[in-house]
Amino acid sequence: MMLPLLKAELFKLFNESKTWYAIGAVLLIELIILFAAYYQGTTILDLLLDNLKQSFYFEGNLLNGNLLIYIILNSLWFNLPLILMIVSSALITEEYKNGTLKTIMLQAVSKWQLITAKYLTSLIFTLTVLLLLMSTTFALAYSIFGNGDLVVYLGTLNFFPSEEAFKRICFAFGSGTLSMIFFTTVSVTLGILLKDPAKTWIASAFFLILSSLLLKADFGLGQMERYFFPKLTNSWQRFFDYQLNFPSILFDNLLLIVYTGVAAVIGVYLFKKQDIG
Amino acid sequence: MIRLLCFFVWMLYFTGTLAQEMDADLMRIKNRMDAIVQFSADLQLDLEAPFINMPTKLASMHYKKGKDTKFSSNDFVVLPKRGLDFAFSELFEHPFITVNRGIEIKNNKEVKVVNVIPTDDRSDMAVATLYLDVKNERIAASEITTKKNGTYELLMEYENKHSILPSYVEVFFAMEKLKIPLNFMGNDTQIDRKTMRNMDTKTGKVILQISNYIIN
Repeated sequence: MMLPLLKAELFKLFNESKTWYAIGAVLLIELIILFAAYYQGTTILDLLLDNLKQSFYFEGNLLNGNLLIYIILNSLWFNLPLILMIVSSALITEEYKNGTLKTIMLQAVSKWQLITAKYLTSLIFTLTVLLLLMSTTFALAYSIFGNGDLVVYLGTLNFFPSEEAFKRICFAFGSGTLSMIFFTTVSVTLGILLKDPAKTWIASAFFLILSSLLLKADFGLGQMERYFFPKLTNSWQRFFDYQLNFPSILFDNLLLIVYTGVAAVIGVYLFKKQDIG
Repeated sequence: MIRLLCFFVWMLYFTGTLAQEMDADLMRIKNRMDAIVQFSADLQLDLEAPFINMPTKLASMHYKKGKDTKFSSNDFVVLPKRGLDFAFSELFEHPFITVNRGIEIKNNKEVKVVNVIPTDDRSDMAVATLYLDVKNERIAASEITTKKNGTYELLMEYENKHSILPSYVEVFFAMEKLKIPLNFMGNDTQIDRKTMRNMDTKTGKVILQISNYIIN
């Protein structure tokens, strides 16, 4: 029963015009960030390498596809989730708004199957958008701006050879995707809780802003702080530490998956407790 | 009698000055280096500098007397502005005088210390201290103070006793504090402000391993 339900949910999602508007908006944002990054890139490199210019010559080009993808990654994870959350939460809020939930529940569908299908649809949608984004970003950045070494500043000025940079960018996309899945899952749960689309969008935006603010906050809890979910949503950045601490990054990402699971379980529980009729 | 005495004093001063002008050992090394018209070599660069992490880089260099040394690489390479002039052509380009500072032990080697002071304003060098391996007729180390680019030190090692160009060079240089634009920093970047404040100037080091010399 689960597969037909999932197919039906995916069919509904991709038949919605707002889904395509969202995908269009994401691609447009990507394009804008890419060209803004190109113009910003020269200034960034000038400022980053200013100190070194006194003692060194530079041979080669740092304003390349890898640097632009890194700048895009920095901007994307703060702009992308809201669009994804709006589309994902609509999977359930639109059903409440149009009263179609009652019709679905008249069929031989259990509540948990229906809501699980909604969560899975949100997951597939997020993965599809991220895959599309990743492939278009790579295609545009590398074809227009070429390949080369990557320089990032994370406490230290880190230089990565192009092959290493590509590998780390792929990992960062993977880790960033987990963050996006966390946000979209939370938005579906918020949709179950609030039922109204507009209220859910506001709550989603609030959750996103709060996460962003808490990410920068220091509560003085030392090592414990990194287990707090807003900090985990930024795990992708750790792939650009010069010395990779794979076990620690893996732990952070697994913990984020646990948080995502908890958000989904809460949603399923709330939905099962709700009176649809 | 007074005139004769004055003449002797003047002669003593004059011969002393002449002796300071050109150190014979240095001139022998210089002549040996001057014989190098051009060379090419492969470089392996390792940068050790505070707040900078860079993997080992490979490049090749092409030197031609009287021309700027050219470097090529498939990677992005950071090359020290000073310290790659293994033939010391820049130092010897303009007239200079030398001052013998005696014998010292440097890196377990007995070296002759000579100050090189350019006498021409066109020279970018203010003063250079050269540590001469007199026995093998080559420069073992140097400390060069430039007019515009600060001071840098070079430690050189050679493949064998006949080599005139080094196979291993350590370049030490002063670096200023990093000034980083905030908008390029990661959101969870922890800045060690105390360390940053304490590092107005720090010493950086470039280790160069040079191989496959083709000398003409």
